[in-house]
Amino acid sequence: MTALAYNDSEYIAILMSREVRDGEVSACGALSQIPAAALLLAQATHAPNAEIILLNTVFRPFGTSRQFHFLCQRGELGLFFLSGVQIDRHANYNLHQLGPDKQHPTARFPGGYGGGMIYYMAKRTILFRTEHTRRTFVERVDYISSAGSSPPDTIRGGHPHQVITPKAVFGFDRAAGILRLQSVHSPYTLDDIRENTGFDLGVDGAVDTTPVPTQEELRVLREVVRPKMISTGTYGAWAEKTIGV
Amino acid sequence: MGVPYVPVMGLVGTDLLARRDDMVMSPDPFGSGKSTVVAKAMRPDIAVFHVEKADRYGNVSCGYPVEAVVLSEAATHVIVTAETIVDRLTEKEAVGCFVPAILVDSVVHAPFGAHPGAMTSCYGIDKAHMTRYAAAAKDEASFAEYVKSCVFDVAGHEQYVERFVPREWREAARSRVA
Repeated sequence: MTALAYNDSEYIAILMSREVRDGEVSACGALSQIPAAALLLAQATHAPNAEIILLNTVFRPFGTSRQFHFLCQRGELGLFFLSGVQIDRHANYNLHQLGPDKQHPTARFPGGYGGGMIYYMAKRTILFRTEHTRRTFVERVDYISSAGSSPPDTIRGGHPHQVITPKAVFGFDRAAGILRLQSVHSPYTLDDIRENTGFDLGVDGAVDTTPVPTQEELRVLREVVRPKMISTGTYGAWAEKTIGV
Repeated sequence: MGVPYVPVMGLVGTDLLARRDDMVMSPDPFGSGKSTVVAKAMRPDIAVFHVEKADRYGNVSCGYPVEAVVLSEAATHVIVTAETIVDRLTEKEAVGCFVPAILVDSVVHAPFGAHPGAMTSCYGIDKAHMTRYAAAAKDEASFAEYVKSCVFDVAGHEQYVERFVPREWREAARSRVA
């Protein structure tokens, strides 16, 4: 049997979709193409009763950000997806700015308040980054847009769950407050991950290989999710040039 | 709204919180022992927003769900610009996007008041104009030129619409009214 061919975006979407739980509320924000595909894929496969919210698309139960804000504050959001320009060992991410001097950043990004609240209140959050290099995975982010852990005397409704990249999956060790390498995507090796990650991987010895996409996952992603994204205007142009290509 | 501050669960340990003086950590006054962020309320003197319909009394239908009610409750004065003015609007006709007249001070009839942005259900974004704006916004000199041409050198809203809203959009709007 020949190995299935797929691209990084498809693989990340499939890995994300496996984390969606049936019957739970899962959501992704604006400009979240890969998580949007993941949520639609989950709903079309193992999680038909998952409530999914894709902000700024037709897949949303309500119209205003206030309603989403309070859904999160009530602790009703099960799973959310976030990305960052930088992600560090403590699962802090940076969506704001680069450079050692916070007053004089070398580059600025859109930032965002939403993630800074949702990361604390969604039961589980998956961080993802399509570039897995030492410039994106750093020991300490230049600016904390959201923190992986909080002091015990504050309210934290949920925690980082995983970090998914085109090369590997990290899990979050809540007690230690750090990321630990969970599995490596074939054909990458532990050394590849070490070479491309700016922090200690938190593992001794061998790690698992990430399960590859199944034929059925790829089929549904390409034959059900892709046309659905195009016909509903849900990142249609992205789906057209990314999924099944 | 109109309250002095609201609690927010989240933002703990972020550089955003560290750099803002309108959001601080505060212990639960009811003694749970937990702290949350409290965000200072914004109390704008004036709120201005554009909507689909308004009536002569100041009742408003935004056209689609937006946070206009919260904005109107927070601001001291509320000015609404509207695509069309109708005789009488009820909450029933504007479910989910109704702002009652009691919150509104002034209504201004301003067709294409969202231009070059979109007024959902009436017209979309004027992409050509937005491209021009984005190019002009790249440096101070070209931006000043843009502002002069599109704001200061324009006698009023009617002249703005005449000059900058695409002709076919204006004709389509006229036929909608007729």
